[in-house]
Amino acid sequence: MADEATILGQLKQAVMDGDEDAAVAAANEAVATGVDPQKAIMEGLAAGMAEMGRLYEEEECYVPELMVSSEALYAGLAVLQPLVAASGKAAKKGTAVIGAVQGDIHDIGKNLVKMMLEVSGIEVVDLGRDVEMESFIAAVKDANADLLCMSALMTTTIIAIKDYMPEFKAKLPGVKIMIGGAPLNQHLADEWGADGYGENAMEAARVAVRLLGA
Amino acid sequence: MQCDQMTSQERWDALIAHEPVDRVPCLQFILGHTAVVNGKPIAKIYDDAAESLACQKNAMALYGHDGLIMHGWANAGGAEFGGDIEFPYRKYTGAPMMKKSPVQSEDDAWKLAVPDDILTVGTMPVALEFSRLQYESGMTVTVQVGSPLTWAGSVCGEERLMIWIMKKPELVHHVLRVITDFIKKKADHWIDTFGAERLMAFDLCIETNKLYSPKHFEAFGFPYLKEIHDHMTARGTAIFLSHICGEQNKNLPLWSQLSYGKRGMVSVGKEVSIAKAREMFPGIIVMGNVDPITVQEGTPEQVRELSRECIEDGKGHPGGFALMTGCEVPPQAPPVNVDQMVKACREFGRY
Repeated sequence: MADEATILGQLKQAVMDGDEDAAVAAANEAVATGVDPQKAIMEGLAAGMAEMGRLYEEEECYVPELMVSSEALYAGLAVLQPLVAASGKAAKKGTAVIGAVQGDIHDIGKNLVKMMLEVSGIEVVDLGRDVEMESFIAAVKDANADLLCMSALMTTTIIAIKDYMPEFKAKLPGVKIMIGGAPLNQHLADEWGADGYGENAMEAARVAVRLLGA
Repeated sequence: MQCDQMTSQERWDALIAHEPVDRVPCLQFILGHTAVVNGKPIAKIYDDAAESLACQKNAMALYGHDGLIMHGWANAGGAEFGGDIEFPYRKYTGAPMMKKSPVQSEDDAWKLAVPDDILTVGTMPVALEFSRLQYESGMTVTVQVGSPLTWAGSVCGEERLMIWIMKKPELVHHVLRVITDFIKKKADHWIDTFGAERLMAFDLCIETNKLYSPKHFEAFGFPYLKEIHDHMTARGTAIFLSHICGEQNKNLPLWSQLSYGKRGMVSVGKEVSIAKAREMFPGIIVMGNVDPITVQEGTPEQVRELSRECIEDGKGHPGGFALMTGCEVPPQAPPVNVDQMVKACREFGRY
Protein backbone atom coordinates (compact mmCIF):
# COMPACT_ATOMS: atom_id res chain seq x y z
CA MET A 1 0.00 0.00 0.00
CA ALA A 2 1.39 3.42 -0.98
CA ASP A 3 2.35 5.95 1.67
CA GLU A 4 0.73 9.37 2.05
CA ALA A 5 3.34 11.30 0.11
CA THR A 6 3.04 8.92 -2.81
CA ILE A 7 -0.76 9.18 -2.87
CA LEU A 8 -0.65 12.97 -2.71
CA GLY A 9 1.79 12.88 -5.62
CA GLN A 10 -0.53 10.59 -7.56
CA LEU A 11 -3.48 12.93 -6.99
CA LYS A 12 -1.44 15.89 -8.15
CA GLN A 13 -0.14 14.07 -11.21
CA ALA A 14 -3.59 12.78 -12.16
CA VAL A 15 -4.89 16.36 -12.26
CA MET A 16 -1.89 17.52 -14.26
CA ASP A 17 -2.37 14.66 -16.71
CA GLY A 18 -6.09 15.31 -16.97
CA ASP A 19 -6.65 11.67 -16.07
CA GLU A 20 -10.05 11.26 -14.40
CA ASP A 21 -9.65 7.53 -13.79
CA ALA A 22 -6.27 8.02 -12.12
CA ALA A 23 -7.69 10.83 -9.99
CA VAL A 24 -10.54 8.62 -8.77
CA ALA A 25 -8.19 5.70 -8.15
CA ALA A 26 -5.78 7.85 -6.16
CA ALA A 27 -8.65 9.43 -4.23
CA ASN A 28 -10.00 5.99 -3.35
CA GLU A 29 -6.55 4.92 -2.25
CA ALA A 30 -6.30 8.02 -0.09
CA VAL A 31 -9.55 7.04 1.61
CA ALA A 32 -8.48 3.41 2.00
CA THR A 33 -5.16 4.32 3.59
CA GLY A 34 -6.61 6.92 5.90
CA VAL A 35 -5.12 10.04 4.36
CA ASP A 36 -6.93 13.11 5.67
CA PRO A 37 -9.36 13.93 2.84
CA GLN A 38 -8.91 17.68 3.32
CA LYS A 39 -5.16 17.20 2.97
CA ALA A 40 -5.68 14.98 -0.07
CA ILE A 41 -7.73 17.72 -1.70
CA MET A 42 -5.46 20.63 -0.88
CA GLU A 43 -2.03 18.98 -1.18
CA GLY A 44 -2.99 16.56 -3.95
CA LEU A 45 -5.76 17.69 -6.28
CA ALA A 46 -5.56 21.43 -5.64
CA ALA A 47 -1.78 21.35 -5.80
CA GLY A 48 -2.03 19.78 -9.25
CA MET A 49 -4.44 22.45 -10.41
CA ALA A 50 -2.26 25.19 -8.96
CA GLU A 51 0.68 23.80 -10.91
CA MET A 52 -1.40 23.79 -14.09
CA GLY A 53 -2.35 27.39 -13.37
CA ARG A 54 1.31 28.27 -13.04
CA LEU A 55 2.07 26.55 -16.34
CA TYR A 56 -0.79 28.46 -18.00
CA GLU A 57 0.55 31.78 -16.77
CA GLU A 58 3.94 30.83 -18.17
CA GLU A 59 2.31 29.82 -21.48
CA GLU A 60 3.45 26.24 -21.01
CA CYS A 61 -0.11 24.99 -21.21
CA TYR A 62 -3.39 26.35 -22.57
CA VAL A 63 -7.10 26.23 -21.88
CA PRO A 64 -7.78 22.74 -23.33
CA GLU A 65 -5.21 21.32 -20.91
CA LEU A 66 -6.83 23.23 -18.05
CA MET A 67 -10.20 21.83 -19.09
CA VAL A 68 -9.16 18.21 -18.86
CA SER A 69 -7.28 18.89 -15.63
CA SER A 70 -10.44 20.38 -14.17
CA GLU A 71 -12.36 17.25 -15.14
CA ALA A 72 -9.84 15.13 -13.26
CA LEU A 73 -9.96 17.54 -10.33
CA TYR A 74 -13.73 17.31 -10.04
CA ALA A 75 -13.63 13.52 -10.41
CA GLY A 76 -11.28 13.32 -7.41
CA LEU A 77 -13.30 15.88 -5.46
CA ALA A 78 -16.43 13.78 -5.94
CA VAL A 79 -14.75 11.05 -3.89
CA LEU A 80 -13.11 13.20 -1.24
CA GLN A 81 -15.41 16.17 -0.64
CA PRO A 82 -18.29 14.18 0.94
CA LEU A 83 -15.84 12.83 3.50
CA VAL A 84 -14.62 16.32 4.36
CA ALA A 85 -18.18 17.53 4.74
CA ALA A 86 -19.07 14.54 6.94
CA SER A 87 -16.05 15.14 9.16
CA GLY A 88 -17.08 18.72 9.79
CA LYS A 89 -13.51 19.81 9.13
CA ALA A 90 -14.22 21.80 5.97
CA ALA A 91 -12.17 24.98 6.18
CA LYS A 92 -14.20 27.44 4.15
CA LYS A 93 -12.54 30.76 3.38
CA GLY A 94 -15.78 32.40 2.28
CA THR A 95 -18.67 32.18 -0.14
CA ALA A 96 -18.74 33.63 -3.64
CA VAL A 97 -21.54 34.05 -6.17
CA ILE A 98 -20.35 33.94 -9.75
CA GLY A 99 -21.94 34.38 -13.18
CA ALA A 100 -21.60 35.74 -16.70
CA VAL A 101 -23.74 38.86 -17.00
CA GLN A 102 -26.93 39.38 -18.98
CA GLY A 103 -26.49 38.95 -22.71
CA ASP A 104 -23.27 36.98 -22.39
CA ILE A 105 -23.15 33.23 -22.96
CA HIS A 106 -19.35 32.93 -22.88
CA ASP A 107 -18.50 31.07 -19.72
CA ILE A 108 -15.18 29.29 -20.21
CA GLY A 109 -13.31 31.91 -18.23
CA LYS A 110 -16.03 32.09 -15.61
CA ASN A 111 -15.89 28.31 -15.16
CA LEU A 112 -12.11 28.38 -14.76
CA VAL A 113 -12.41 31.11 -12.14
CA LYS A 114 -15.06 29.07 -10.33
CA MET A 115 -12.76 26.06 -10.26
CA MET A 116 -9.78 28.05 -9.00
CA LEU A 117 -11.90 29.66 -6.28
CA GLU A 118 -13.06 26.22 -5.18
CA VAL A 119 -9.57 24.79 -5.02
CA SER A 120 -8.63 27.87 -2.98
CA GLY A 121 -11.19 26.87 -0.37
CA ILE A 122 -13.96 29.27 -1.35
CA GLU A 123 -17.50 27.93 -1.65
CA VAL A 124 -19.00 29.01 -4.97
CA VAL A 125 -22.61 29.49 -6.04
CA ASP A 126 -22.55 29.40 -9.84
CA LEU A 127 -25.43 31.23 -11.53
CA GLY A 128 -24.25 30.21 -15.00
CA ARG A 129 -24.45 32.66 -17.88
CA ASP A 130 -26.76 35.39 -19.13
CA VAL A 131 -27.47 36.42 -15.52
CA GLU A 132 -29.62 39.45 -14.79
CA MET A 133 -28.76 41.94 -12.06
CA GLU A 134 -31.66 40.94 -9.81
CA SER A 135 -30.56 37.30 -9.90
CA PHE A 136 -27.08 38.22 -8.66
CA ILE A 137 -28.54 40.27 -5.81
CA ALA A 138 -30.96 37.53 -4.76
CA ALA A 139 -28.27 34.86 -4.88
CA VAL A 140 -25.82 36.89 -2.80
CA LYS A 141 -28.49 37.46 -0.16
CA ASP A 142 -29.64 33.83 -0.19
CA ALA A 143 -26.10 32.51 0.21
CA ASN A 144 -25.02 35.29 2.55
CA ALA A 145 -22.05 35.55 0.20
CA ASP A 146 -18.92 37.59 0.86
CA LEU A 147 -17.90 37.95 -2.76
CA LEU A 148 -19.68 38.57 -6.06
CA CYS A 149 -17.84 37.73 -9.30
CA MET A 150 -19.05 38.86 -12.73
CA SER A 151 -17.63 38.05 -16.14
CA ALA A 152 -18.24 39.46 -19.62
CA LEU A 153 -16.52 38.77 -22.92
CA MET A 154 -18.26 41.20 -25.26
CA THR A 155 -17.96 44.95 -25.56
CA THR A 156 -21.75 45.14 -25.26
CA THR A 157 -21.92 43.00 -22.12
CA ILE A 158 -19.19 44.79 -20.21
CA ILE A 159 -21.71 47.65 -20.20
CA ALA A 160 -23.95 45.42 -18.08
CA ILE A 161 -21.18 45.24 -15.47
CA LYS A 162 -20.91 49.01 -15.46
CA ASP A 163 -24.70 49.31 -15.12
CA TYR A 164 -24.92 46.73 -12.32
CA MET A 165 -22.23 48.23 -10.13
CA PRO A 166 -24.17 51.13 -8.52
CA GLU A 167 -27.06 48.80 -7.66
CA PHE A 168 -24.72 46.25 -6.13
CA LYS A 169 -22.96 48.91 -4.11
CA ALA A 170 -26.30 50.17 -2.79
CA LYS A 171 -28.01 46.84 -2.16
CA LEU A 172 -25.10 44.61 -1.17
CA PRO A 173 -23.06 46.64 1.33
CA GLY A 174 -19.98 44.86 2.55
CA VAL A 175 -19.92 42.41 -0.33
CA LYS A 176 -16.70 42.49 -2.32
CA ILE A 177 -17.14 42.66 -6.08
CA MET A 178 -14.75 41.21 -8.65
CA ILE A 179 -14.94 41.45 -12.43
CA GLY A 180 -13.16 39.71 -15.26
CA GLY A 181 -13.27 38.96 -18.96
CA ALA A 182 -11.12 39.56 -22.01
CA PRO A 183 -12.20 43.16 -22.78
CA LEU A 184 -11.75 44.30 -19.17
CA ASN A 185 -8.70 45.58 -17.39
CA GLN A 186 -7.62 46.93 -14.03
CA HIS A 187 -8.26 50.51 -15.14
CA LEU A 188 -11.93 49.81 -15.93
CA ALA A 189 -12.30 47.79 -12.73
CA ASP A 190 -11.04 50.76 -10.72
CA GLU A 191 -13.10 53.26 -12.68
CA TRP A 192 -16.30 51.28 -12.18
CA GLY A 193 -15.69 50.68 -8.49
CA ALA A 194 -14.91 46.97 -8.47
CA ASP A 195 -12.90 45.70 -5.52
CA GLY A 196 -10.92 43.26 -7.61
CA TYR A 197 -9.97 42.20 -11.11
CA GLY A 198 -8.15 39.16 -12.41
CA GLU A 199 -6.28 39.02 -15.69
CA ASN A 200 -6.81 35.25 -15.65
CA ALA A 201 -8.41 32.60 -13.45
CA MET A 202 -5.32 32.05 -11.37
CA GLU A 203 -4.89 35.72 -10.60
CA ALA A 204 -8.61 36.01 -9.89
CA ALA A 205 -8.34 33.32 -7.22
CA ARG A 206 -5.37 35.06 -5.60
CA VAL A 207 -7.25 38.37 -5.57
CA ALA A 208 -10.36 36.69 -4.16
CA VAL A 209 -8.42 35.12 -1.29
CA ARG A 210 -6.85 38.50 -0.55
CA LEU A 211 -10.21 40.28 -0.60
CA LEU A 212 -11.67 37.72 1.78
CA GLY A 213 -8.70 38.16 4.10
CA ALA A 214 -8.33 34.42 4.18
CA MET B 1 -7.21 69.30 -41.81
CA GLN B 2 -6.56 68.56 -45.46
CA CYS B 3 -9.35 67.44 -47.78
CA ASP B 4 -9.33 64.02 -49.36
CA GLN B 5 -8.07 63.78 -52.92
CA MET B 6 -9.91 60.53 -53.65
CA THR B 7 -13.39 59.24 -53.00
CA SER B 8 -13.77 56.18 -50.79
CA GLN B 9 -14.42 54.04 -53.84
CA GLU B 10 -11.34 55.38 -55.65
CA ARG B 11 -9.24 54.80 -52.53
CA TRP B 12 -10.54 51.24 -52.15
CA ASP B 13 -9.96 50.49 -55.83
CA ALA B 14 -6.41 51.84 -55.66
CA LEU B 15 -5.63 49.94 -52.47
CA ILE B 16 -6.81 46.68 -54.00
CA ALA B 17 -4.94 47.40 -57.25
CA HIS B 18 -1.82 48.06 -55.15
CA GLU B 19 -1.61 51.57 -56.54
CA PRO B 20 -0.95 54.81 -54.64
CA VAL B 21 -3.68 56.20 -52.42
CA ASP B 22 -4.06 59.78 -51.23
CA ARG B 23 -4.07 58.83 -47.57
CA VAL B 24 -4.26 55.83 -45.27
CA PRO B 25 -7.69 54.28 -45.78
CA CYS B 26 -9.93 53.67 -42.79
CA LEU B 27 -11.46 50.22 -43.17
CA GLN B 28 -13.71 49.03 -40.38
CA PHE B 29 -15.37 45.90 -39.10
CA ILE B 30 -18.42 47.94 -38.26
CA LEU B 31 -21.59 45.92 -37.95
CA GLY B 32 -23.78 46.31 -34.86
CA HIS B 33 -22.68 49.93 -34.47
CA THR B 34 -24.15 50.78 -37.88
CA ALA B 35 -27.55 49.62 -36.62
CA VAL B 36 -27.20 51.78 -33.52
CA VAL B 37 -26.41 54.93 -35.49
CA ASN B 38 -29.35 54.15 -37.78
CA GLY B 39 -31.70 53.71 -34.82
CA LYS B 40 -32.31 50.04 -35.63
CA PRO B 41 -32.03 46.88 -33.53
CA ILE B 42 -28.55 45.39 -33.80
CA ALA B 43 -30.15 42.11 -34.86
CA LYS B 44 -31.12 43.68 -38.21
CA ILE B 45 -27.47 43.59 -39.22
CA TYR B 46 -27.59 39.82 -39.05
CA ASP B 47 -31.14 38.70 -39.83
CA ASP B 48 -32.25 41.20 -42.47
CA ALA B 49 -30.06 41.54 -45.56
CA ALA B 50 -31.60 44.73 -46.95
CA GLU B 51 -31.62 46.55 -43.59
CA SER B 52 -28.08 45.40 -42.92
CA LEU B 53 -26.76 46.72 -46.19
CA ALA B 54 -28.64 50.00 -45.81
CA CYS B 55 -27.35 50.53 -42.26
CA GLN B 56 -23.77 49.82 -43.28
CA LYS B 57 -23.95 52.11 -46.31
CA ASN B 58 -25.50 54.92 -44.26
CA ALA B 59 -22.82 54.61 -41.59
CA MET B 60 -20.12 54.67 -44.25
CA ALA B 61 -21.58 57.88 -45.63
CA LEU B 62 -21.90 59.32 -42.11
CA TYR B 63 -18.34 58.62 -41.00
CA GLY B 64 -16.63 58.67 -44.36
CA HIS B 65 -14.72 55.44 -43.77
CA ASP B 66 -13.71 53.38 -46.77
CA GLY B 67 -15.34 50.00 -46.00
CA LEU B 68 -15.79 47.20 -45.12
CA ILE B 69 -19.36 46.15 -45.83
CA MET B 70 -20.08 42.53 -44.98
CA HIS B 71 -22.43 39.99 -43.43
CA GLY B 72 -20.96 37.68 -40.82
CA TRP B 73 -19.87 37.24 -37.22
CA ALA B 74 -17.17 35.36 -35.39
CA ASN B 75 -19.24 32.71 -33.66
CA ALA B 76 -20.83 31.51 -36.90
CA GLY B 77 -21.47 28.02 -38.19
CA GLY B 78 -23.61 26.45 -35.49
CA ALA B 79 -26.92 27.56 -36.96
CA GLU B 80 -26.01 26.06 -40.33
CA PHE B 81 -25.83 22.61 -38.70
CA GLY B 82 -29.11 22.94 -36.82
CA GLY B 83 -28.17 24.84 -33.64
CA ASP B 84 -30.49 27.31 -31.92
CA ILE B 85 -29.38 30.85 -32.60
CA GLU B 86 -30.47 34.05 -30.84
CA PHE B 87 -30.20 37.30 -32.73
CA PRO B 88 -29.23 40.34 -30.68
CA TYR B 89 -32.56 42.00 -29.92
CA ARG B 90 -32.17 41.88 -26.13
CA LYS B 91 -30.43 44.46 -23.99
CA TYR B 92 -26.64 44.12 -23.87
CA THR B 93 -26.49 41.61 -26.73
CA GLY B 94 -24.27 42.66 -29.59
CA ALA B 95 -23.98 39.72 -31.97
CA PRO B 96 -25.77 36.45 -32.70
CA MET B 97 -25.30 33.79 -30.01
CA MET B 98 -25.65 30.04 -30.03
CA LYS B 99 -28.32 29.20 -27.48
CA LYS B 100 -27.77 25.51 -28.08
CA SER B 101 -25.02 24.04 -30.19
CA PRO B 102 -26.12 21.37 -32.66
CA VAL B 103 -23.54 18.87 -31.36
CA GLN B 104 -24.19 17.84 -27.76
CA SER B 105 -22.58 14.40 -27.74
CA GLU B 106 -19.94 12.29 -29.46
CA ASP B 107 -22.73 10.54 -31.33
CA ASP B 108 -23.99 13.91 -32.62
CA ALA B 109 -20.48 14.75 -33.75
CA TRP B 110 -19.96 11.51 -35.65
CA LYS B 111 -23.32 12.02 -37.37
CA LEU B 112 -22.47 15.57 -38.44
CA ALA B 113 -22.75 15.89 -42.21
CA VAL B 114 -22.90 18.60 -44.86
CA PRO B 115 -26.58 19.30 -45.63
CA ASP B 116 -27.74 18.43 -49.15
CA ASP B 117 -28.94 21.97 -49.77
CA ILE B 118 -26.65 24.32 -47.91
CA LEU B 119 -28.45 27.41 -49.20
CA THR B 120 -31.53 26.88 -47.05
CA VAL B 121 -29.92 26.16 -43.67
CA GLY B 122 -29.31 28.52 -40.75
CA THR B 123 -28.44 32.04 -41.83
CA MET B 124 -27.42 31.07 -45.36
CA PRO B 125 -30.50 32.61 -47.01
CA VAL B 126 -29.73 36.00 -45.40
CA ALA B 127 -26.04 35.75 -46.31
CA LEU B 128 -26.87 34.92 -49.91
CA GLU B 129 -29.42 37.71 -50.18
CA PHE B 130 -26.90 40.17 -48.71
CA SER B 131 -24.34 39.18 -51.34
CA ARG B 132 -26.95 39.41 -54.11
CA LEU B 133 -27.74 42.97 -53.04
CA GLN B 134 -24.03 43.80 -53.00
CA TYR B 135 -23.65 42.35 -56.47
CA GLU B 136 -26.60 44.28 -57.87
CA SER B 137 -25.21 47.48 -56.33
CA GLY B 138 -21.93 46.99 -58.14
CA MET B 139 -20.08 46.45 -54.89
CA THR B 140 -17.39 43.97 -53.91
CA VAL B 141 -19.26 40.84 -52.85
CA THR B 142 -18.22 39.54 -49.45
CA VAL B 143 -18.50 35.97 -48.19
CA GLN B 144 -17.54 34.54 -44.81
CA VAL B 145 -15.53 31.32 -45.08
CA GLY B 146 -14.49 30.37 -41.58
CA SER B 147 -12.37 29.77 -39.81
CA PRO B 148 -13.25 26.07 -39.42
CA LEU B 149 -11.87 25.81 -35.88
CA THR B 150 -13.82 28.89 -34.80
CA TRP B 151 -16.96 27.43 -36.39
CA ALA B 152 -16.29 24.14 -34.61
CA GLY B 153 -16.62 25.97 -31.29
CA SER B 154 -20.04 27.15 -32.38
CA VAL B 155 -21.03 23.71 -33.66
CA CYS B 156 -19.82 21.72 -30.63
CA GLY B 157 -19.66 24.28 -27.83
CA GLU B 158 -16.25 25.66 -26.90
CA GLU B 159 -15.67 23.64 -23.73
CA ARG B 160 -16.72 20.37 -25.33
CA LEU B 161 -14.48 21.08 -28.31
CA MET B 162 -11.49 21.81 -26.10
CA ILE B 163 -11.91 18.61 -24.11
CA TRP B 164 -12.26 16.61 -27.33
CA ILE B 165 -9.12 18.24 -28.71
CA MET B 166 -7.30 16.69 -25.77
CA LYS B 167 -9.14 13.39 -25.56
CA LYS B 168 -10.81 12.70 -28.92
CA PRO B 169 -8.69 14.35 -31.61
CA GLU B 170 -10.06 12.06 -34.33
CA LEU B 171 -13.57 13.27 -33.52
CA VAL B 172 -12.48 16.90 -33.78
CA HIS B 173 -10.87 16.20 -37.14
CA HIS B 174 -14.14 14.66 -38.33
CA VAL B 175 -16.06 17.78 -37.27
CA LEU B 176 -13.49 20.02 -38.94
CA ARG B 177 -13.64 17.91 -42.10
CA VAL B 178 -17.41 18.37 -42.35
CA ILE B 179 -17.24 22.09 -41.59
CA THR B 180 -14.49 22.60 -44.15
CA ASP B 181 -16.47 20.73 -46.80
CA PHE B 182 -19.48 22.90 -46.00
CA ILE B 183 -17.43 26.08 -46.33
CA LYS B 184 -15.87 24.95 -49.63
CA LYS B 185 -19.33 24.17 -50.98
CA LYS B 186 -20.47 27.62 -49.90
CA ALA B 187 -17.41 29.21 -51.49
CA ASP B 188 -18.04 27.39 -54.75
CA HIS B 189 -21.62 28.61 -54.85
CA TRP B 190 -20.55 32.21 -54.32
CA ILE B 191 -17.83 31.94 -56.97
CA ASP B 192 -20.24 30.34 -59.46
CA THR B 193 -22.97 32.88 -58.74
CA PHE B 194 -21.08 36.16 -58.45
CA GLY B 195 -17.71 35.47 -60.08
CA ALA B 196 -14.37 35.07 -58.31
CA GLU B 197 -13.20 38.46 -59.58
CA ARG B 198 -15.96 40.21 -57.64
CA LEU B 199 -15.37 38.34 -54.38
CA MET B 200 -13.77 39.23 -51.11
CA ALA B 201 -13.63 36.10 -48.95
CA PHE B 202 -13.06 36.62 -45.26
CA ASP B 203 -12.47 34.49 -42.21
CA LEU B 204 -12.88 35.59 -38.60
CA CYS B 205 -10.58 33.54 -36.41
CA ILE B 206 -10.68 33.53 -32.61
CA GLU B 207 -8.21 30.69 -32.03
CA THR B 208 -6.09 32.93 -29.84
CA ASN B 209 -3.12 31.84 -27.77
CA LYS B 210 -5.14 32.82 -24.70
CA LEU B 211 -7.18 29.70 -25.49
CA TYR B 212 -5.24 27.42 -27.81
CA SER B 213 -1.56 26.60 -28.02
CA PRO B 214 0.34 27.16 -31.26
CA LYS B 215 0.45 23.35 -31.55
CA HIS B 216 -3.34 23.15 -31.32
CA PHE B 217 -3.55 25.79 -34.04
CA GLU B 218 -1.07 23.88 -36.17
CA ALA B 219 -2.96 20.60 -35.77
CA PHE B 220 -6.58 21.72 -35.78
CA GLY B 221 -6.71 25.23 -37.20
CA PHE B 222 -4.12 25.72 -39.89
CA PRO B 223 -4.64 22.65 -42.14
CA TYR B 224 -8.31 23.42 -42.69
CA LEU B 225 -7.71 27.14 -43.14
CA LYS B 226 -5.06 26.32 -45.73
CA GLU B 227 -7.39 24.02 -47.58
CA ILE B 228 -10.02 26.74 -47.90
CA HIS B 229 -7.54 29.48 -48.79
CA ASP B 230 -5.90 27.23 -51.41
CA HIS B 231 -9.25 26.19 -52.84
CA MET B 232 -10.54 29.72 -53.24
CA THR B 233 -7.22 31.07 -54.48
CA ALA B 234 -7.03 28.33 -57.10
CA ARG B 235 -10.47 29.36 -58.28
CA GLY B 236 -9.33 32.96 -58.75
CA THR B 237 -10.81 34.70 -55.69
CA ALA B 238 -9.88 38.36 -55.97
CA ILE B 239 -9.41 39.30 -52.31
CA PHE B 240 -8.88 37.24 -49.19
CA LEU B 241 -9.13 38.87 -45.78
CA SER B 242 -8.19 37.11 -42.56
CA HIS B 243 -9.09 38.67 -39.24
CA ILE B 244 -6.51 37.30 -36.83
CA CYS B 245 -8.35 38.08 -33.64
CA GLY B 246 -6.68 38.64 -30.29
CA GLU B 247 -3.35 37.31 -29.05
CA GLN B 248 -2.01 35.22 -31.95
CA ASN B 249 1.66 36.18 -32.07
CA LYS B 250 2.73 32.54 -31.85
CA ASN B 251 0.37 31.57 -34.69
CA LEU B 252 1.64 34.21 -37.12
CA PRO B 253 4.30 32.04 -38.81
CA LEU B 254 1.51 29.73 -39.97
CA TRP B 255 -0.83 32.55 -40.91
CA SER B 256 1.92 33.95 -43.09
CA GLN B 257 2.06 30.67 -45.07
CA LEU B 258 -1.54 30.91 -46.29
CA SER B 259 -2.46 31.99 -49.80
CA TYR B 260 -4.52 35.18 -49.90
CA GLY B 261 -5.82 35.41 -53.45
CA LYS B 262 -4.87 38.12 -55.90
CA ARG B 263 -4.85 40.69 -53.09
CA GLY B 264 -4.46 39.68 -49.49
CA MET B 265 -5.51 41.51 -46.35
CA VAL B 266 -4.94 40.69 -42.70
CA SER B 267 -6.35 42.54 -39.74
CA VAL B 268 -4.76 42.14 -36.34
CA GLY B 269 -5.86 42.83 -32.80
CA LYS B 270 -4.12 45.20 -30.42
CA GLU B 271 -2.13 42.23 -29.08
CA VAL B 272 -0.17 41.96 -32.35
CA SER B 273 1.95 45.00 -33.10
CA ILE B 274 1.72 46.63 -36.49
CA ALA B 275 5.49 46.22 -36.80
CA LYS B 276 5.16 42.47 -36.24
CA ALA B 277 2.30 42.22 -38.74
CA ARG B 278 4.34 44.12 -41.33
CA GLU B 279 7.25 41.77 -40.81
CA MET B 280 5.10 38.65 -41.17
CA PHE B 281 2.98 39.87 -44.10
CA PRO B 282 5.31 41.93 -46.30
CA GLY B 283 3.30 41.72 -49.49
CA ILE B 284 -0.26 42.12 -48.33
CA ILE B 285 -2.42 44.77 -46.77
CA VAL B 286 -2.11 45.05 -42.99
CA MET B 287 -5.03 46.51 -41.07
CA GLY B 288 -5.28 47.45 -37.44
CA ASN B 289 -5.23 47.83 -34.61
CA VAL B 290 -6.87 50.52 -32.47
CA ASP B 291 -8.02 49.06 -29.14
CA PRO B 292 -11.82 48.58 -29.37
CA ILE B 293 -12.26 49.10 -25.63
CA THR B 294 -10.67 52.52 -25.91
CA VAL B 295 -13.04 53.28 -28.80
CA GLN B 296 -15.95 52.37 -26.51
CA GLU B 297 -14.80 53.60 -23.12
CA GLY B 298 -12.11 56.16 -23.92
CA THR B 299 -12.16 59.78 -24.95
CA PRO B 300 -11.98 61.14 -28.50
CA GLU B 301 -8.49 62.38 -27.69
CA GLN B 302 -7.38 58.89 -26.68
CA VAL B 303 -8.81 57.37 -29.85
CA ARG B 304 -7.12 60.05 -31.92
CA GLU B 305 -3.77 59.34 -30.28
CA LEU B 306 -4.03 55.57 -30.69
CA SER B 307 -5.03 56.09 -34.32
CA ARG B 308 -2.06 58.37 -34.91
CA GLU B 309 0.31 55.78 -33.48
CA CYS B 310 -1.15 53.02 -35.67
CA ILE B 311 -0.95 55.18 -38.77
CA GLU B 312 2.65 56.11 -38.12
CA ASP B 313 3.53 52.45 -37.54
CA GLY B 314 1.73 51.23 -40.62
CA LYS B 315 1.58 53.81 -43.37
CA GLY B 316 4.95 52.88 -44.85
CA HIS B 317 4.07 49.22 -45.26
CA PRO B 318 4.95 48.15 -48.82
CA GLY B 319 1.98 45.78 -48.94
CA GLY B 320 -0.46 48.53 -48.05
CA PHE B 321 -1.95 49.65 -44.76
CA ALA B 322 -5.39 50.60 -43.53
CA LEU B 323 -6.43 51.89 -40.12
CA MET B 324 -8.94 49.74 -38.33
CA THR B 325 -10.06 48.79 -34.86
CA GLY B 326 -8.41 45.63 -33.53
CA CYS B 327 -11.75 43.84 -33.73
CA GLU B 328 -15.32 44.88 -34.48
CA VAL B 329 -16.17 48.48 -33.70
CA PRO B 330 -18.08 48.15 -30.41
CA PRO B 331 -21.78 48.51 -31.15
CA GLN B 332 -22.25 50.99 -28.30
CA ALA B 333 -19.14 53.07 -29.02
CA PRO B 334 -19.72 56.83 -28.90
CA PRO B 335 -19.98 58.07 -32.51
CA VAL B 336 -17.52 60.87 -31.76
CA ASN B 337 -14.89 58.23 -31.00
CA VAL B 338 -15.54 56.28 -34.20
CA ASP B 339 -15.39 59.53 -36.11
CA GLN B 340 -11.92 60.20 -34.73
CA MET B 341 -10.44 57.31 -36.68
CA VAL B 342 -11.36 58.74 -40.08
CA LYS B 343 -10.24 62.17 -38.96
CA ALA B 344 -6.90 60.72 -37.89
CA CYS B 345 -6.43 59.17 -41.34
CA ARG B 346 -6.99 62.57 -42.90
CA GLU B 347 -4.73 64.36 -40.43
CA PHE B 348 -1.85 61.89 -40.07
CA GLY B 349 -2.21 59.47 -42.97
CA ARG B 350 -1.49 61.65 -45.95
CA TYR B 351 0.90 60.21 -48.57
